[in-house]
Amino acid sequence: MMKKTIPFASGLLLLALALVWWMDSKQPRPVELIPTLTGQPEYCITCHADLPEISASHPVKTLGCVICHGGERLALDADLAHSTMRSGANPSDLSVVEQSCGGSNCHSGSEAENRNHIQRVMTSIQSTYAGAIANIRYTFGAQTDLNAYFGIQAVTDEQTATGITSLSAFEPANETNPFIRKFGEQCLNCHINAVPREGEAFARQTGCAACHSPQASADSKVHTFTTAIPYTQCNACHNRGNYDLRAMTFVERTDHPTSRIQDYYQPIAQFTKCEYTLDCIDCHTREEAMGDGDIHASKKDIQYIQCKTCHGTPAELPLTKTLTDPNDIAFTLAFLNPVVDLKLGDTILVTEKGEPLWNTRVLPVGTYEMIGKATRQKFAFRPVKGSSCTQTGADQSSAYCHECHSVER
Amino acid sequence: MRPSFFHHLHPPTIPAAQARWRYTLGAGGTAIFLMLVLGVTGILEMFYYVPNPQDAALSVQTITYHVPFGGFVRNLHYWSAQLLLIVSAVHLLRVVFTAAYSHPRRFNYLLGLGLFVLAILLDFTGYILRWDSGICYPLVTGTNLIKTIPLIGNFLFRIAIGGGEACSTALIRFYTWHIFGITIAAVILMVWHAFRVRRDGGIAIPPPALRADNTRISRNELVRREVLAILVVGIILILMSTFLPAPIAPAMTDKPAVTENARAPWFFLWVQEMLKWGDSFIFGVLIPLGILAILALIPYVLPKPAGGDIGRWFPKSNRLAQIVVGVIALIVIALTFAMFIS
Repeated sequence: MMKKTIPFASGLLLLALALVWWMDSKQPRPVELIPTLTGQPEYCITCHADLPEISASHPVKTLGCVICHGGERLALDADLAHSTMRSGANPSDLSVVEQSCGGSNCHSGSEAENRNHIQRVMTSIQSTYAGAIANIRYTFGAQTDLNAYFGIQAVTDEQTATGITSLSAFEPANETNPFIRKFGEQCLNCHINAVPREGEAFARQTGCAACHSPQASADSKVHTFTTAIPYTQCNACHNRGNYDLRAMTFVERTDHPTSRIQDYYQPIAQFTKCEYTLDCIDCHTREEAMGDGDIHASKKDIQYIQCKTCHGTPAELPLTKTLTDPNDIAFTLAFLNPVVDLKLGDTILVTEKGEPLWNTRVLPVGTYEMIGKATRQKFAFRPVKGSSCTQTGADQSSAYCHECHSVER
Repeated sequence: MRPSFFHHLHPPTIPAAQARWRYTLGAGGTAIFLMLVLGVTGILEMFYYVPNPQDAALSVQTITYHVPFGGFVRNLHYWSAQLLLIVSAVHLLRVVFTAAYSHPRRFNYLLGLGLFVLAILLDFTGYILRWDSGICYPLVTGTNLIKTIPLIGNFLFRIAIGGGEACSTALIRFYTWHIFGITIAAVILMVWHAFRVRRDGGIAIPPPALRADNTRISRNELVRREVLAILVVGIILILMSTFLPAPIAPAMTDKPAVTENARAPWFFLWVQEMLKWGDSFIFGVLIPLGILAILALIPYVLPKPAGGDIGRWFPKSNRLAQIVVGVIALIVIALTFAMFIS
């Protein structure tokens, strides 16, 4: 018995070593990725090989995962690997967007102003909510004018064109009026960095992904970044109900629209056929949606597209531009969302501020064509000039068009 | 059988009663085995470890996840170090509770106590070498304790840490202390300690006239028992290292925050608990050093145990030393638990 103890213990030790080898052989083999931009190996795709590339402009071979998401690039333990990720699975949340998406080669600090998306978004009305805050504070007597003093977060704009150089962070707790405090508690869930309300209809992420990562439902977050944003994504915030200023609560829509026309706008609104046929982004430009880099006090200061932008007036045709510069921003936008094959020499419509409506073109017969940015559907349309429209030249805002052209539901 | 080199490291015979597991608990021998494991696994880790602040934590992640069996080797190193502290403490308690420190082994008792302190320092410096976001509290707190010592605090701090801030420049100091400074001292003390065991007449035992049992076992049997102990400890280490991964945390960012709920490594939790009570110098330096001084003085100050009591568990003539060390041990364990659950 005594003599066999050592061989027996030795056998157990060998068995334990065999266990070590067996456990090791069961581990998944690490899959290395060395993005050309960072040159630093990362192992995220050991587990995440099934994730689709987020967009053609963000190839994983070039960028990898860590440059945007953060995380421990060498760790193969999920908890450790994920422990330092920026804002969970959404690095575009505005609290971390500068680290994730910023940098002069990417989306902030670039000399080309129209690449500074982060500055534009941070100062845009969609993230400052400055107009709503100013209106509520004015209405309930906390300020004597409608100027914007507060935003969801403090922002500054040193090169202001609107005269507003900064907004302070809105602190509902500092307000004396109970309605304004309640507004702060209950109504600040629409700006793009707010956590959305519960419910399928409100499903969206925060930051850039609020718009650019359209998701089918609250549970189906997608690894997709797109500029082809369908109207349904805009609807996650817009068109889902209304605020009751007496109770300071948001009243959700009670109807459950099944057709596009029913889904469009609230029952009180007047609208035309193209407004419920097209997607929001077919007409509304990036400056309107993402901001122009300046701090604005109200939606009406930044939203400027009218029916006449595309259709002109009885006296004038819409503005057009023939593309002669290969570096024209129109080509970049068409490259990012290739629904049209834009070529040098093509003539497209432009807005009053000179923004290209790059998904339109002027047809040789004098009519126009628009290609849906999200649907790729083609729409032919005519100018007002030469039509039977009798509206006077001074009354050309969309509200006047609605007088004759609104749709009955 | 002609004795091999390893047999020759042992005395030809040793007393049977004092060679029993239930007497030695195998603690001293196990400590030597664990130090050998630590040496071998430490050398393996050095092939991949990069001692500069930017790369250290990443190289630990490389060892853990990408070097073949690197995680296993790192776990072995970690668990050997933790077991070494426990086994050393058990060894110390055994020596006190069996009056084995008595003359002529008083000096070797001091050598052993020195080894215990070095083992703690090795564990602490090794813990710091992870250089990830989990180590900053112990690093800042531990090194600031040195500064609280009157007159020579800043000087000692500079010796231990070098210039600059603890969380940015101290890594190369800790690396060198861990791998050369303290390790060389520990190896020298370990060899000296083992040499003195034989020089002082082998394992502690009553003088010949007072022995109840004169049976002895051969060195062959002693080596056999040691091999068995090595196999058992080896199996335990392998299983622990397979199923219990050593702690690891994300790499440090630019300015590591020392958070409220940060924890000292487990063997310093009792000091961390005391630091809540007030002055850092008193509770963080004086009291731990005082405890060390009390332990060191036991063989020299307390009444000498009776000759016949040496080499027996809990002898009467040694009661005071047992009570002193027992109370210290209980207080340290209680403080550790208090901090652990807080």
